[in-house]
Amino acid sequence: MSAINSNLESFRNWKHANLAIAVVLIGALAIFPLFKPPLDGFIDDCVLALAYVVMALGLNIVVGFAGLLDLGFVAFYAFGSYAAGWFASDFFSSINGEKGIHIGAGTFASTLPGIHLNFLLVLVAAVIITSIAGMIIGLPTLRLRGDYIAIVTLAFGEIIGRFAVNGQIGGFKYTNGRQAISPVDALDLPLLKEFDSAFSIRGYYWVALTMVAFSLFVNFRLRDSRLGRAWIAIREDEVAAVSMGIPLVKTKLMAYAAGAAFGGLSGAFLGTYFNSVNANQFQFAFSIFILSMVILGGLGSIWGTVLGAITLSFINSYFIPDVFNGIPGSLGLDFDLTQLSFGIFGFLLVMVMILRPEGLLPEKRRRLELKEGIGADEAIVEVRA
Amino acid sequence: MNVATLPPQEEIRTTPVSERLRKFFSAYGLWIVLLGLPVFYGIKDLQDEGDLSRLGNNLFAGLSNGAIWALIALGYTLVYGIIELINFAHGDVFMIGSFVAVGMWGTVGLALTTGTLGLIAGLLVTLIVAMVVCGTMNVMIERVAYRPLRSAPKLAPLITAVGFSFILQNVGIVWLGSSQKGVPDLIKAQHVLVSVAGIDIHNSDVLALAVTAPLVFLLTTFVNHSRSGKAMRATAQDPEAARLMGINVDTTISLTFLLGGLLAGAAGLVYALYQTNVWYFQGFTAGLIAFTAAVMGGIGNLKGAVIGGLIIGCIQQISDNRIGAQWTPAVVFAYLVLIMVFRPQGLVGEETREAG
Amino acid sequence: MSTSGSIDPGAPEVAELATEVEGALLSAENVSKIFGGLVAVNDVTVAIPRKKIVSIIGPNGAGKTTFFNMLTGLYKPSRGKIVLDGADITGHRPDKIMAGGVARTFQNIRLFSTMTAVENVMVGQHARMRAGLIGSILRPPRVGREERGTREKARDMLGFVGLETKTFDELAINLSYGDQRRVEIARALASEPRLLLLDEPTAGMNPQESEVLTTFMKRLRDELDLSILLIEHDMKVVMGVSEHITVLDHGEKIAEGDPATVRANPRVIEAYLGKQG
Repeated sequence: MSAINSNLESFRNWKHANLAIAVVLIGALAIFPLFKPPLDGFIDDCVLALAYVVMALGLNIVVGFAGLLDLGFVAFYAFGSYAAGWFASDFFSSINGEKGIHIGAGTFASTLPGIHLNFLLVLVAAVIITSIAGMIIGLPTLRLRGDYIAIVTLAFGEIIGRFAVNGQIGGFKYTNGRQAISPVDALDLPLLKEFDSAFSIRGYYWVALTMVAFSLFVNFRLRDSRLGRAWIAIREDEVAAVSMGIPLVKTKLMAYAAGAAFGGLSGAFLGTYFNSVNANQFQFAFSIFILSMVILGGLGSIWGTVLGAITLSFINSYFIPDVFNGIPGSLGLDFDLTQLSFGIFGFLLVMVMILRPEGLLPEKRRRLELKEGIGADEAIVEVRA
Repeated sequence: MNVATLPPQEEIRTTPVSERLRKFFSAYGLWIVLLGLPVFYGIKDLQDEGDLSRLGNNLFAGLSNGAIWALIALGYTLVYGIIELINFAHGDVFMIGSFVAVGMWGTVGLALTTGTLGLIAGLLVTLIVAMVVCGTMNVMIERVAYRPLRSAPKLAPLITAVGFSFILQNVGIVWLGSSQKGVPDLIKAQHVLVSVAGIDIHNSDVLALAVTAPLVFLLTTFVNHSRSGKAMRATAQDPEAARLMGINVDTTISLTFLLGGLLAGAAGLVYALYQTNVWYFQGFTAGLIAFTAAVMGGIGNLKGAVIGGLIIGCIQQISDNRIGAQWTPAVVFAYLVLIMVFRPQGLVGEETREAG
Repeated sequence: MSTSGSIDPGAPEVAELATEVEGALLSAENVSKIFGGLVAVNDVTVAIPRKKIVSIIGPNGAGKTTFFNMLTGLYKPSRGKIVLDGADITGHRPDKIMAGGVARTFQNIRLFSTMTAVENVMVGQHARMRAGLIGSILRPPRVGREERGTREKARDMLGFVGLETKTFDELAINLSYGDQRRVEIARALASEPRLLLLDEPTAGMNPQESEVLTTFMKRLRDELDLSILLIEHDMKVVMGVSEHITVLDHGEKIAEGDPATVRANPRVIEAYLGKQG
């Protein structure tokens, strides 16, 4: 009996520790920008990193929890960003007799033509659009095996990227293609009014941080729920899972929808933060960028994903352009290191998969699967064989 | 792998609603969809212009273009057939093949002024060098990135393959920069050699078919009749049994990657001559197109890969010419999704170990 | 292929069978399964009465597991009909059939190996739980209670099948073979089934362990009012526990009846020992 109690005790302690770490961390993170200049480049890097954390946490639900390798995550980034572009800019300038539609928009945006929704409404729209898109893209993959899922999602990502670039069908124009939809309305929330983006990006930082906290909360809740167990069950053995009463279609679609929603959330935020939505952003490489974060951190591991996202984001936006970019020149080589960032990520992917497939902060289940090759697609082979 | 106890994946029932639809589509759908485009435009041409020469030109250009995709698709299909891996880096190996070819004909001294005999000799040397480089590179990638992961879950080598794809693309950027690069039009690609019944046959078409046909013939002969080819087929069917029968599975897999790489190298040269420009990103698109071709033909099936390549070439030409080149990738990828979902075993649908 | 009529020597047996189907908990009526051209199960009728233990036996490749997979919905029968408690469930999805009260174990244990024993059993209760996507995120009191209740019940269930308390939170893959079997049964029981399908549960067990399991099956029937359908190779287990036995060979039903009848049937002996002379 004492064994169980101590087991339970350590379990509880561990949970409390987790919570304590989260609270302290988030508190410290929340106040640090006050010690930096309001338009500091480092805060800019942090805002990006936080947005990528949200995205990676979303992909972690699909790939890490449910084991569905999604190589087209960029699609949700695109949809999310376009939600901002469509519903918070003058893109649809002729709507409502050029007077525009305004719901809770800022004082300046309220004078412009086009649709202008409050940022929170834009987020809601982005979540709705992307979770539906996630399910639609997921639908054809339901019967497929892992590597085929990867290719089909990739193809969808490319198709959507193509639609974004082309921008119009017949006479209907739905994006500005490579010209970008710009400007997107600035962030305008009641408490953040005093931090105008022209003078300070702290407001963006705090919104991003809130989104990360929210995403973490949702991720932990989902992992330790009926649904989380069902995802892991499906990842390990579809046949056993369905025989235990787990509906495959519904459960997989929920993973796609939940994961996509975070992509949309982050995408809408980034569209607002960048103040523009350009089709050039939505390329396959971005899907791999986010996937690398999840893999580097540890598939299925929530803190690992956070770590992976922050690491790669800073490598991408700080170390490569600002710190190491002098290296090729000093070696007498004539190229721009920033062009090679994806080669560096590719190299990282290969190294991680070979040397430490469970990632930096592995999740205990995944370590078993990846190290000892149990679970995953083995089960499916067994059924066929 | 005992057939008697084998419940095919199709029998595991998860989505009964879509099943009937799926069955119908898997029987006829792909053919209907494939024939749809040419038939539609054929009728349209007859109405608008009174003859089929425009469609004929589309289809012929499609075949020669498709010959390149076929060469690349064979690499996907060989590798998938033997280790069930989507060798994502394969398209980029092909890209490197183009770069090697372009670099090589500079080294050999081929220029627009070179005479016909010199040109043929020079191109032959270039072809061999490009093939050998790509073949070796493919074998090395397998050793470094896939072999250590052979017992890992299948997604692990797929991820390293994606990683290698990016590494190779960046090699391409360092090598020739990040924009498209025009190369000397050595064979006067767009020169109309002869015109048959309103269909123009260009130098480039002749080149593509002249390189592809013998290579495909050599490959199929090798796989079907040589000792190593038989070892490959045995390994593809059942690696464990093959190992027990004394086949060196590692060597056989290396050989497969070598063959795939050789063909990719050849495709690289043909592509450079055909398109008269090269780009570090060409491998990504070409890779996906060729993969679509391989799946369309039935992955693991050599004949299927060739047929798939030719069909995709035609679809691509029709789409370029009629719908608009900016939509072609979307059209091709839409085909990819449709095939994957409704007929994963492909057109030449012998059920391989992996179909479905 | 012979029909079932020509298999049974006398008409009375057929009549008896028909009445059995009537009140049965689950019945498979003339089901066949054809893979490509291969007939794996041919025109088999089996009825599982309430609160009884019945068995399917037969040599390797007789189609027993295929038959099981049809009952649980993993395969759709090519012909025939499956009725659960009066409702036609032919072609229903496995998860629906599970929710309807049919739980199973697998011949080669299929636990979720990176989950703990308790988590495995919690998955077994999936169909009895309600929490959806939003509920799982917001976790209102209702969902919290459900989650705690599920965990508690999982522990009870593991205790019931005789797993030691200290192994409850071990990962399934680290459990001994016998314990893995126990967890699999607990996982199936946790779904509150009316019918439990056991696919060769004593495979790999020593005689003592088999004995314990036999007693346990009877306990399940008597205490939980379960029906059990058993696929088994161990004749000692089958004869000791079954109230009714169906014999399959090459996908066809060649005999059925109580243990004594089946044991004496020449066709059964022939199927197991091969044709003599």
